[in-house]
Amino acid sequence: MEFQELLSEKIAELLHELSVLPFDNMHHEGALAGPAVLTNYTSWLIIAFVAVAVMFLVASNVAKKRLAATEASGNPSELAPAGRFMGMVEFGVEFIREMASDVIGEKDGPKYVPLLATMFFLILISNMFGLIPGGKSFAGSMGGTVALALITWIVFVVIGFKKNGFVGYFKSLIPSGVREMPLAGRLILGGFLFLLEFISTFLIRPLTLSVRLFANMYAGHIVLGIFSAFVMLFWPLVQPALQFSIGGVAVGAVSILFLVIMYAFELFVAFIQAYVFTILTAVYIQSSEHAGDH
Amino acid sequence: MEAGLIAIGKGIAYGFAAIGPGLGIGIIGGKAVEAMARQPEMAGRLQTTMFIAIAFTEALALLGFVLTFLMG
Repeated sequence: MEFQELLSEKIAELLHELSVLPFDNMHHEGALAGPAVLTNYTSWLIIAFVAVAVMFLVASNVAKKRLAATEASGNPSELAPAGRFMGMVEFGVEFIREMASDVIGEKDGPKYVPLLATMFFLILISNMFGLIPGGKSFAGSMGGTVALALITWIVFVVIGFKKNGFVGYFKSLIPSGVREMPLAGRLILGGFLFLLEFISTFLIRPLTLSVRLFANMYAGHIVLGIFSAFVMLFWPLVQPALQFSIGGVAVGAVSILFLVIMYAFELFVAFIQAYVFTILTAVYIQSSEHAGDH
Repeated sequence: MEAGLIAIGKGIAYGFAAIGPGLGIGIIGGKAVEAMARQPEMAGRLQTTMFIAIAFTEALALLGFVLTFLMG
């Protein structure tokens, strides 16, 4: 077989694997039967959920024991993080707590730490699963990220209506300077701004939130997959029928180098995307909390 | 023929959609580094603001990305 044919076949296989498939039949073609099929992505989502739950349970258990030991002995140094795992989890939670009080405010911030920390660790751990060969991040499917973005959307819309009232929240979409203008200006400019702000707040926010995470994880997965396919085809490991050449070995070596570099970059992206999703959730919550102020 | 044209259109659409946000994110990052070098004690808050600004700028490129999916 020709090299080009094999490469396009590998890419088609990669894209097929990234589409939503039932977990017990990865070669499924066409539409899925029935709404309640356990798909490949759903099973990776469940694995990520279980990992987050186990992490929080272990961490809170250890923390409780430490607290009890401190109260019993009266020695505050017992509260120091025990071991690498606890240190890591405490660092992560501290990071989210600082971010929440930085963005949302000292008073209201701590209320949202559980939501933000769950989102952060869920996305981070799921993205890390996506980097294990054969594993997938549920954020690599549009369905998963839309569900997460909808949670954010519901939270900030409900908070906005609760804090400002039904009319007040819609009124707060128009800047206060425009609200003090004469009637004609209020109607024309205010109406136009209301339309713009309405679209950007209620439609564009959840869209970009979900597409950003999806696009980053999907593209990262494909880039890693294509470099792996290059290595496989230039160093004929799986298809021995391909010709073996010195130039091919050199290209394969460069591909494997790039694969390692991209892997490191994807680790960075996995963290950054989880951080960006969480911080934007915090910013949207903040803008609903203080919608009336400006 | 038509599939090829659609593929070319997708490439052009996303390519053009990425120009503006690319420039914008470059400017944001450069200015953030400048600000952090001037006032290292503000680095934490500057970083937060930088990520928020990047997220808003990136939205335009993402709309182009969605467009490529809509061009079926």
